[in-house]
Amino acid sequence: MGQNTGEVGDRRNGVRRRQFVAATGVATVGVLAGCLGNGGNGSGDGEEVGGNGNGDANGGGDRVVDAEPGGEPVDSTAVSWDDLGDLEGQITIYSGRTRDQIDPVFEALEAEYDGLDIELFYDDNDVQVNQILQEGEATVADLMYSQDPGALNELEANDALQELPADVVDAVPASYRHPDGLWTGVTGRTRSIIYNSDRLDETGLEDWEELPTDIMAFDTDDRLQGVISTRPNSGTFRGFIQAMVELEGEPETREWVRGMIDHQDVQLFSGGSSQAEAINRGGDDDPVVGLGNSYYAARILNEDPDAPIRTTHTENDAGCLFSVAGVGVMNQVDDPELVAEFVRHLLAAEGQEFMMDANGEYPVVEGIDYVGPLPDLTEINPPEFDLSSFDMELQDAQDLLTEEGMTV
Amino acid sequence: MSSTPTDVETSRRPESIAERLRSVDPWMAALALSSALIALLVVSPMFWLVREAATVDPSRAYDLVVTSQTAWITVNSVVLMVAVTLLSILLGVPLAILTTRTDLPYPRAWTVVAALPLVIPSYIGAIAFVGMFGQGGELDTLFGVTVPRVDGLSGAVFIITLYTYPYVFLTTRAALLSMDGSLVDAARTLNAGPFEAFRRVTFPQIRPGIAAGALLAALYAVSDFGTPAFMGARVFTSTIYWEFGGFAVEYAALLAIQLIAIVAVVLVIEAGIGRDEDASGGTGDGSTIRLGAWKWPAMGFVSTIGAVTLVVPVAIFTNWLVRSEGDRIASLEFQPEFALNSVYLAVLAALVAAAFALPVAYYSGRVNSTISRLLERATYLGFAVPGIVIGLALVFLGTRTVPSLYRDGVALLVFAYVVRFLPQAVGTTRASVLGIDDTLLEAARTLDSGRIETFRRVTLPLIMPGVVAGAVLVFLTTMKELPMTLMLQPVGMDTLVIIIWEAQRGLYYRYAAIPALLLLVISGLTMIVSLRQEGYEIG
Repeated sequence: MGQNTGEVGDRRNGVRRRQFVAATGVATVGVLAGCLGNGGNGSGDGEEVGGNGNGDANGGGDRVVDAEPGGEPVDSTAVSWDDLGDLEGQITIYSGRTRDQIDPVFEALEAEYDGLDIELFYDDNDVQVNQILQEGEATVADLMYSQDPGALNELEANDALQELPADVVDAVPASYRHPDGLWTGVTGRTRSIIYNSDRLDETGLEDWEELPTDIMAFDTDDRLQGVISTRPNSGTFRGFIQAMVELEGEPETREWVRGMIDHQDVQLFSGGSSQAEAINRGGDDDPVVGLGNSYYAARILNEDPDAPIRTTHTENDAGCLFSVAGVGVMNQVDDPELVAEFVRHLLAAEGQEFMMDANGEYPVVEGIDYVGPLPDLTEINPPEFDLSSFDMELQDAQDLLTEEGMTV
Repeated sequence: MSSTPTDVETSRRPESIAERLRSVDPWMAALALSSALIALLVVSPMFWLVREAATVDPSRAYDLVVTSQTAWITVNSVVLMVAVTLLSILLGVPLAILTTRTDLPYPRAWTVVAALPLVIPSYIGAIAFVGMFGQGGELDTLFGVTVPRVDGLSGAVFIITLYTYPYVFLTTRAALLSMDGSLVDAARTLNAGPFEAFRRVTFPQIRPGIAAGALLAALYAVSDFGTPAFMGARVFTSTIYWEFGGFAVEYAALLAIQLIAIVAVVLVIEAGIGRDEDASGGTGDGSTIRLGAWKWPAMGFVSTIGAVTLVVPVAIFTNWLVRSEGDRIASLEFQPEFALNSVYLAVLAALVAAAFALPVAYYSGRVNSTISRLLERATYLGFAVPGIVIGLALVFLGTRTVPSLYRDGVALLVFAYVVRFLPQAVGTTRASVLGIDDTLLEAARTLDSGRIETFRRVTLPLIMPGVVAGAVLVFLTTMKELPMTLMLQPVGMDTLVIIIWEAQRGLYYRYAAIPALLLLVISGLTMIVSLRQEGYEIG
């Protein structure tokens, strides 16, 4: 339960930031040397806490941003693993992604490099972020692999991340990463409409083609009354709300949320798996249609090709928000070269292709073509967003949902 | 200070501090001190909550506390807690009587069946139940048979009860086994009917046992996240998770403190009900209730519970194992280490909890003072706080105090289990301490046996069943713990429940089949062993 995407912001109330300053202050043994000064975030109170002052072996200049490529640099074309430097040593990753999503590429990397040891900690995406923030400089993570940009933005807002090397940053289009390269997307996906193809007659629709292609029609379309569902506690949903505010305005977004609850009697789920499962199961009280992420449907179909669950999408609106899963590097890492080279591997051709294959996700590197069952991105035409800064901050989107009563 | 005469005449005069110190029994002082240290240790994570909550702007904090939403979740949480507790008593007490006081065949086997639901995470039970009995579920698909929709608050009550009543069952059963059954016979010979005898003789004797189990059930119900979330019931835990998702840990902490405040009230109430409780006395067996033909419906009843709570989850997962056409996911493939890790962690947690529980339980069982009761009650707080909150508190405190142990070795994780599960050991151990017949201790003393000698040779053997029962409870609940395990595990230390969770959240149920089956087998064997040490004869 932690599939997320899409929020942002340099955020948040001073309270939060003070708290983090206090938290890290306790542990800070060394001098706050080598601060990146990620700049501009927070309300500016408190001192910079972004340095690698944990008293570890690393010197102040030993930053990931300075790590020279071990082989070729990556760029927006398909660079092969063969041209990159070797990976050797131990790298520790906090993953908010599930095992099936990242196992294939990590297995391939460990098979490729005998000296590479990838240590993985799995948990819900949101829990990982909260944990890293509580650990402060004592975190054992080198890297956070997040389901969504919102979680990475939260880490960035608390000065927990350090800058990525220039070639890595330049390999990814600006809207899929942090502008200063404090995190980068690795693969992307759009939000989808999920439905049970056996239950058309329980909707007011004549044909599945009649499903609205405009997300702003979902709160008023009587044909979906009582049969629609969503999951409001995911990162992708918060990103979706942020995107809607940006595209349509806050009053319209509030109206949409209220309409979903009051008019459509939307069923709310607390987990993406249980939502997709309920749609697929198709009991009388289960929803027929859902707003969510398409990969749950893909997994069900992978297990059981005869399952009735299907996905479609809206067009060029918040409902088909394109968001990324991505990585951010912790402030303090043991081996900056290894971490930098590791991220390069994720953005190189094989890394992108493994992810594409395992997750049904789109590559973020332009030179790599998407091959798979999903519609071409130009067909969906998702709106362009800077995923590192929506107009509305994440906490405000969360508050909006709480105020309008769309919580689980 | 001069010494004062110590004859009887002067003993009513106000004593000097030195005098009072001298009159303190050093053994009891040491006991009190170690109880206090243990209580302080397990309550320490709560300081993190206060620290976090203190960062919330006071006006915002006020708004949070008094919103209608907070009122709503408070009501829901209390309803959930009360309903689960009452239903657990209605289920657990008859089952305990059935397996101890009647001629039910194979009582040990039925005891294991009735206790085992404790080891299944309740949300897994919820998913399996809906998948089997719900509309569109397996039975619906095969036979067109469904049960009424199970969801919302009532659904959460139903499912949590099914997986929580074993607390009441086990503690009541222990009380029944240790009470003097011959009293019931005496009552019957005085022409009391069976219900009259139960109400006037048995019930007062086992009331502390029922209360102890009911308390555990109540605290479990109020700290459970997975099942209310799956059922869509809005309670404290769901709101805590909601704030967690918005990265507002300080709000989550504030909510957790509110939850603790409610629980504190419950703890005080229960302290009244469970009072006292000097359950000492003989342990005559008494005659058993003859079921006759009723043994068939009785066995049918226990079998049904076992089928719904234990067989259904395993069957659902196994069905996927057989049917699935999905791709292989390397790190979810079963490895024996998963089981070994689970057992290793659970054994450590059980041992440490038993050791920690002993002084607290003994002190509060032997000395009936406000302080001793307070220390004992304090150990219960951790059980009411969702694991994710305790986990985060220990992440913060662990990295600040013992960074070398953080995510390196299992010490911090085992401590986390003890923080949450200690009351299970304290409760059962204390019940057995209350059951000690003082005359035995006096007899030992008159035989010039020293304090340590008496404790080792008389007290410890007497309370051992309670200590073991507590350790087993901790073992079983540690086996199913998830959130703290994820947050504090050393790298790669996957447990059975971690794999079940991964399989569930990724919709790869087939990978949950073997871990779920093993969870039941290992826990069942553990129970059989622990029942054996009770030494009750089975046909």
